[in-house]
Amino acid sequence: MLEATGVAAGYGRKRIVHGVDLAVGKGEIVLVLGHNGAGKTTLMRTLFGLLPAAEGTIRYEGRDIAGRRPAENVADGIAFIPQGHGIFRTLSVRDNLDLGAFVEPDKSLLPERLDTVFRMFPILKERASQIGGTLSGGQQQMLAIGMALMHAPRLVILDEPSIGLAPNLVDKVMEAIAYINRTMGTTILMVEQNVKYSLPIASRVAVLKTGRKIYDGPPDPLHDRVELMKLF
Amino acid sequence: MDYLLHILVMVAIYAILAGSFNLLIGFSGLFALSHAAFFGVGAYTTAILTTGYGLPFPWPLLVGIGLAAIVGLAIGLPALRVGGEYLVIITLALQIIAVAIMLNWTSLTGGTQGIGGVPRIRIAGVPLDTAGRFLPLAVGVAALSLWAAWRLGASPFGRALRAMRENEAAAQAVGKNVVAMKLIVFAASAGIASVAGGLYAHYIAFVSAVSFTIETTIYILAMVILGGTGNLLGSVLGAAILVVLPELLKFVDLPPDIADKLRQVMYGVILIVMLRLRPEGLLPEHDARRARVPPGLGADGLGPLAPPAAADGAVTVEGRDLMKSFGGIVAVRDFSIDLRRGRIVGLIGPNGAGKTTAFNLLTGFLRPNAGTVRFRGSTVSGRAPHDIVRAGMARSFQDLKLFRRMTVLDNVRVALPRQKGDGLLHVYFLPWVVRAEERENLGRAMAVLRFVGLEGQAGELAENLSYAEEKLLVIARLLATGAEVLLFDEPLSGLDPGTMEGIFPIIRRLAEQGKTICIIEHNLDVIRGLCDWAVFLDEGRKIAEGTPEALIADPVLAERYFK
Amino acid sequence: MDLVLQLLVNGVINGSHYALLGIGFGIIFGPTRITHFAYGPIFAVGAYGCWASVAWLGLPVPAAALAGVLAAAGVGALSYLWLYRPFERRGSSHLVVLIASLGLFITLENLIGIVFGTDTKVVPGLSPDIFLWGPVVVTSIQLWQVAALAGIALALFAFLRRSRHGKALMAMTDNGEMAQIIGIDTVRVSLTAFAVGSAVAAVPAILILLKEGATPHMGFIAVFMAFVAVIVGGIGSFRGAIIGGYAVGIVENIGMWKLPTEWQSTIAFVVLFLILLFKPSGLFGRRVR
Repeated sequence: MLEATGVAAGYGRKRIVHGVDLAVGKGEIVLVLGHNGAGKTTLMRTLFGLLPAAEGTIRYEGRDIAGRRPAENVADGIAFIPQGHGIFRTLSVRDNLDLGAFVEPDKSLLPERLDTVFRMFPILKERASQIGGTLSGGQQQMLAIGMALMHAPRLVILDEPSIGLAPNLVDKVMEAIAYINRTMGTTILMVEQNVKYSLPIASRVAVLKTGRKIYDGPPDPLHDRVELMKLF
Repeated sequence: MDYLLHILVMVAIYAILAGSFNLLIGFSGLFALSHAAFFGVGAYTTAILTTGYGLPFPWPLLVGIGLAAIVGLAIGLPALRVGGEYLVIITLALQIIAVAIMLNWTSLTGGTQGIGGVPRIRIAGVPLDTAGRFLPLAVGVAALSLWAAWRLGASPFGRALRAMRENEAAAQAVGKNVVAMKLIVFAASAGIASVAGGLYAHYIAFVSAVSFTIETTIYILAMVILGGTGNLLGSVLGAAILVVLPELLKFVDLPPDIADKLRQVMYGVILIVMLRLRPEGLLPEHDARRARVPPGLGADGLGPLAPPAAADGAVTVEGRDLMKSFGGIVAVRDFSIDLRRGRIVGLIGPNGAGKTTAFNLLTGFLRPNAGTVRFRGSTVSGRAPHDIVRAGMARSFQDLKLFRRMTVLDNVRVALPRQKGDGLLHVYFLPWVVRAEERENLGRAMAVLRFVGLEGQAGELAENLSYAEEKLLVIARLLATGAEVLLFDEPLSGLDPGTMEGIFPIIRRLAEQGKTICIIEHNLDVIRGLCDWAVFLDEGRKIAEGTPEALIADPVLAERYFK
Repeated sequence: MDLVLQLLVNGVINGSHYALLGIGFGIIFGPTRITHFAYGPIFAVGAYGCWASVAWLGLPVPAAALAGVLAAAGVGALSYLWLYRPFERRGSSHLVVLIASLGLFITLENLIGIVFGTDTKVVPGLSPDIFLWGPVVVTSIQLWQVAALAGIALALFAFLRRSRHGKALMAMTDNGEMAQIIGIDTVRVSLTAFAVGSAVAAVPAILILLKEGATPHMGFIAVFMAFVAVIVGGIGSFRGAIIGGYAVGIVENIGMWKLPTEWQSTIAFVVLFLILLFKPSGLFGRRVR
């Protein structure tokens, strides 16, 4: 579904990602691991079009999307959930969700999607008129995911959805991601630090180190944490 | 003829203004737009003291310098708290208030009438009452003022100013007292600008508030931007162009009112066009030809910067029970750490474990809520960061914070400890001492660059380095502080394995020479390859410490590391 | 006591004027983060556009006012496209953009002076009604100033809450990068913000034209009062700009009770200075990120 070949990227003259190949198949949950500064976030931002790729090609559903603006990628069914504040903190929950569907031309589809999101995260329905920034960290993350779902993406890219969350909430968030993948067939590409909860839902894992891919394969061998630590 | 000479006098006066303004905005990066107010203080002081008290030249000029310096300090106070656009707006507000005072304090300033009849300067009984007679004095005073500005800008103090402009935290981290520097440069800039005011009052023989408004500040600003920020010669050129150019309008037959407006339009357009096409100005600050460094300078090894000390493992830094919370969220708690001479300690742990906060607590960038930091037996917690650096404990930053628009050499030179040239007394009154010190420091800086392998790039701007070279420069700058304790925040992150291994020996050699070293790194290869000891942090606490191998192989810690 | 009452009423009237200035400035600053000094002369463009439509084209005042609003909106939009957008594209620092804005400020202000002359322009044949409410005197134009704030605030509120562009503008004010991530065209939103913000500024400008006439320099005090309103109220909040505007208007007029009039405008700048120094997030605002 998404196929990146030889992608290099960075900020200004600073290369952070050096020639990474990454393929995401339809319906997969691909997990990207790596230490801080390994280039995970840079790679995700490049794939989504927030950063230009200095080298390499990015194909999505067979089309070359390198150099496209984020707005075009969103309209084409890709959602990106950035690290940290992936919501509008000064706007209400409901406004946030509406904005999530900003690019959807057919507004008649929205009530149903809103319903789906509310069924998945009932707390958001309860708090629909609350200001986003006043939600707890876990609720904000749910809202961010809900926003992404509002335009019914086929591919969701998540950058560390677990950051700053208590362990039980991390579990909940991962469960939701797995649920979306299972019930809606949405393909997931996710960067994580929290191996404990993300590894079990992954169908494939890529490990980055200093901007290069050093592992790409099934999650099973990585369940041994000491082995995994050796990769870091 | 007289008309041409008049233009030259105005060029001299505005060159003083542009040059002194450049000290503030170009060299120090302090965009305080109230320069016309300093100009006005000088002019009014001269006008009041000559007409009201009959004080002869040059006394009103000197009093004006003192008064303007005091006003400069007052206007500089906000710069200690706010920067960027806020400083611009706040100083523009002060500029407006200053003009309101000139207009409304009628008993002192004559209000809207201004003050007329400022007497001519007499030299040997001859009144300087024509442009021709005034010009030599104007040029002489301008030369003296610009010399004062140039001495300041070209001195080690000026280098420190530029470092502060590039990055304030990093300037503190190499031992510079940025608070004192800001106040001094405000006073100096204002004092020099007031000289222009004194000249102006004598020359025009009349002062009124309309000459010192925001438009005048913008006029001077345009000169600085046109000539080039950070380049005093550029300011003289900018002043010359912007004084002469509008005079060309005189050859077109326009009503004076329209001509005056066209003049202002010209300044505005020049500002915009320069910023669009050549933001560095006609004469840029950095001149690659001048920056070339003679080869063969600097000995091998660090010499006096690293007095040989036994790598004996004696404890140099003790952090005890440190606690820090931000708005109720505890970032670090009960954190104790010992750092030892000749040893490399690694700080590891998952994201958000509080590692950088721990560094900030150790080096004074944050004040702990509880606990103490002792260095060589004396308490350093609570002291200012630059003070702790001078005592011998320095740190680097995760995001490098290089002085980007300074040369590699200057990045290192500015960090050298105990520079006499950082004090203006030495700069102005003992220049030979500063010169000798500069010669010696050039050698020391080159030795540091040679130590990390950057001597070939000494004349290059830091912003033109490759990422790996930037990382080396971070190490070089940290070394140059001469500190005994070196705290590295992710010195190797983002480097490829080959480059990384090239830097390992540099850090090891430092430890062998008796430095105390602590490193934060996420890449565990670095911890394994470099550290003698590792401390594992999680949720702001020290969870474990031991050899890197033992910690990394510990399944409990591994579980924590990945949550 | 009567004097205090009159000063209070004057404070509310001036406060409405400042609040409008603050709202217009805030609409531009919120999403774009551009410290738009040229807001001042564009404010003046609104007044002169109206005056020229009356004096040169012979339009009736309401139509001329509309022309003034459109003129300001047009110049505002162009200032973004021709001046700020190229700097944004190059990734220039905020300070560079700010200085360029000062350049545009002085250019526009003097161009206005060249085209229209420096004398005060008034709309001829206009005599506002005067109302006596007990000891308090107000004019119909002053009432218009209060009404304009109410009307525009409501209209903007509807625009920001209901329309697609308004929602995008709110989103970008909150978080520019998130706006991009959900597919908002941030350049178009910035352009809208400049057009709408400039149009808003034209309204108080036209009322000043009707009240006391227009001069080329009128934008100078306007842009600074907009700063004061926005900074006192807290950057990034429309409600803050309104409260800030009123706060300054009232403080300034109450100050007149004890201070000679020539210091009136200075009061606002002293307030600005104190707020920036001691509470840069404003009295009611959030901290800017």
